Parts: sequence; structure tokens; C-alpha cells
Amino acid sequence: MKYQILIVDDAELNREILKEMLLDEYDVLEADNGKMALEIIDKEWEHIHAILLDLVMPVMDGFEVLAGLQERKVVGKIPVLVISGDNTSRNEKKCFDYGVYDFIGRPFNSVLVKLRVKNMVNQYVYKNRLEEKVQEQTAVLRKAYETVKMQAEELEKRNQDIIEVLGAIVEYRDVESGEHIQRVKGYTKILAEAFRVQYPEYGLTENTIDTIVAASALHDLGKIAIPDRILLKPGRLDKDEFEYMKSHTIRGCEILESMKVEWNPAMKKISLEIIRHHHERYDGKGYPDGLKGDEIPISAQLVSVADVYDALINERCYKDAYSKEEAFHMIMNGECGAFSPKLLETFRSVKKQFEKLS
Amino acid sequence: MEVKTFYEQLGMGYEDVSGRLGSDALIKKFVIRFLDDASFTRLRDGLQENDGEKAFRAAHTLKGICLNLSFDTLYKPCAEITEALRDGRITEGCNTLFLEVEKEYNRLTKAVRSILIGGETK
Repeated sequence: MKYQILIVDDAELNREILKEMLLDEYDVLEADNGKMALEIIDKEWEHIHAILLDLVMPVMDGFEVLAGLQERKVVGKIPVLVISGDNTSRNEKKCFDYGVYDFIGRPFNSVLVKLRVKNMVNQYVYKNRLEEKVQEQTAVLRKAYETVKMQAEELEKRNQDIIEVLGAIVEYRDVESGEHIQRVKGYTKILAEAFRVQYPEYGLTENTIDTIVAASALHDLGKIAIPDRILLKPGRLDKDEFEYMKSHTIRGCEILESMKVEWNPAMKKISLEIIRHHHERYDGKGYPDGLKGDEIPISAQLVSVADVYDALINERCYKDAYSKEEAFHMIMNGECGAFSPKLLETFRSVKKQFEKLS
Repeated sequence: MEVKTFYEQLGMGYEDVSGRLGSDALIKKFVIRFLDDASFTRLRDGLQENDGEKAFRAAHTLKGICLNLSFDTLYKPCAEITEALRDGRITEGCNTLFLEVEKEYNRLTKAVRSILIGGETK
């Protein structure tokens, strides 16, 4: 296929001269005024590879054609070479402002015009092809991205289902806690949302909070591996029993790891953090790892406040229920666990919301 | 040789046109085609009809052709009348300038006929 050039000039003789030198390599369309040129462009623009444009013409001049091209957004798609005897810098500048490729004054050297046409046609054909390629690739990428996103959403949903099932198993096994898991989720949500606003430096996002809240249901997953005689023992546990009980943090992680389930990485990471570290203490005296301060993942810190609060205000096989007011003060005074001062500030600020939920 | 003769007899730059357009055959073809070009007639009509726009465009086109074909002798009065007409108004001086254009146009076309076309039929 030959590339096609549109020659716009009111003088037939000028068109003839240009045509003569282009005809062996290009197909040529002609227009003897601007209006006709735009009509041809409207019909054929996809098959025009360059425009040679005169400026002074009857009916519609070259500048009006340039304005028309701009309006049609073909500037940048079809290169324009202005050929004019009025080669003042003012005219040239005006043309370049319209985005023309080049400006040639009269009299022109036909060999040079031909070379310039060749250059600009090749350059634009290449450029347009590249742009097309980029658009195609972008579409492919976007589609792939949509698919991946859908799969991620699908995975997350399945993960949520599994967490729900595991939570129900824990609830069923840990007879005393009944609605404990649902309430811990509720407290965790209240606490995390307030903490996020008060301490943005922790980088919590809406999304992370959702994951933490969902995973909080698993904090006692390991208890399903603790025998009844220890788990359900009325009164205090002896030292060995208590040591065994403490292992629910590690056992919970082992259970989760042993499941042949595909996890969303963030969800798995946060779940393991909560299961393993929800009994750590801010002063480093907790278990199983004795982590101190913000070594304890923020997910686990949030859940441990929620867990302790709910344990205090409800009756357990080993203790009676405290009032909400008592529970609040016990936590604030460090009588039951040790927490980050920042987290305690947040806890103080959501006291009313906790009481409403319990 | 006749193309060179034609340009030299009229005192116009053969080297220039030859350098820009290439072969004599092409130059000859375009010079003969010039006889069919209507710009000169349109310029005359524009002046007679007192249509400044029309006269300007015709003068401008004629000037452009003169540049392309190195019609130096005709180019000079064409350039002058083009500038005189640029704002679209026909003034006294335009008619005097046109006489100059007409004189050079006639001299040129006569030479085309006698040297180039005449030469062809020999």
C-alpha cells in the first residue's frame, strides 16, 4: 500500500509541481481551497498520511484549515507541512502554534521537500503505530488487572468464610464464652477505628481494620486443641495446667498453618499475629514470646484490649463478672494486663461505645 | 538546451530553478503549463471588478508560481502588487503596478511560445 498525501494549494500549477515529485512514492489527493481540504479530511482522514498546506487560498485559508484540524483533533495524528511564500517569522510561529510539523518557504527545492515529506510520513506512521500498540497493551493489562482483582476479591471472600467457620468451631468448643467472639470483633472494630484517627502514624487503613476485625474471631483458635479438663476447669489452674493453657497461642498458629487453604497474604499474616500475640504485654511480661512495646503487632494489641475487657465484664468458669466501670479502671490502672499508653488513651475515648456494645 | 536558453534570454536564474526542480523536461513541462494558469487573468479581473480580495489572492498565487519557477522578472512586480493589495484595498498605485506585471507577463509568455513551444514543433 502506498501512503497518501493531501496537497492543498489554490494554484493548480503549484499542486502539479508537488505532485510530480511525490507521485512515484505516494498516492496524492488534491484540494484547491481549505474547505475542500477539510471535506476530504473528514472523509479520508484515516488514509491520509501527510498534508502539504498553502496559506493564502480563496474560500478558506490555511490558518482556518489548521484551526479545523485542531478542532477535529487530527493534529498530532496527521503531520502537516506548510508551504508558503509568506515565510515571515510571525506566520511561521503561528503555524507552529497550531502544531504543524514543518514550514517551508517558497521557492522550495523539490528534492528537499520530498525528503522532508518522507521523514515526516515515516515518523508519524511509526509514532501512530506505537500509540496503537500502547493502547492495545493497556487494554490487555487492564483486563488482566480486572481478572486478578476479581480473583483477589473471590479469595478474600472465601478466606472470610473459612474464618467464620473456624470462629464458630472455637465458639462451640469454648462453652463459656458464647457470644464472646462476636463481642471481641465489635470492640476491636470500635477501638481500631478510633485508634486509626488518633494515631495515623500507625498507618492503619480501612482495609487493614476490616482484616483485623475478621481475624480477631480466631484469637483463641488454639483452644480447640486444649483438653476439656483444663479448658473447662472451674477455679484456678495449677502451674502445669496454666503452661499448657498458654500453648493455645502457638497451637492456634499451627492449626492455621496446617490448613491446606490458599490465603490472602495480608489476611494470613494478621491472623497469625493475633493468634500468637494476643496475650503479650506492653511491659514484655506476656506470652508466648515476651514481646515488648510496639514489637507486639498493633493488630494483636488491639484485640488483646478487646479480649481482656470482655473477659472481665462476663462470668467465667474461673471468676465472677466485674462491672463495666470496674473493668474500665482495672484496664486503665494496669491491674489486668499492660497496654500501650496510646492505646489506653484511645480506650478511654471510646469507653461509652464499649459500654453500649456490651 | 532550450530551457537554459529560455531562462538566459529573459535574464532569469536557470541555475536556481534547475537546482530546485531537477530535470529540464520537468521545468519545460511546468513552464508550458504556466500558460494555462489563470492567476494573471484573475488578477486583471479582480482589479477591473474592484474586488481587492480576489486581486490580492491572484497576485499572491502568481507570485508563488514565479518563485517556484524562478520567473525572476515577473516575480518582482508581482511581489510589489501583492504587498500593495495585502490589506484588500485597491489603490491608485495598484493600476500602475499592474501595468508592470502585464508587461513582464506578456514578455514571458511570448518567450514561452516562441522558444519552448516553437522549439518543440521544429
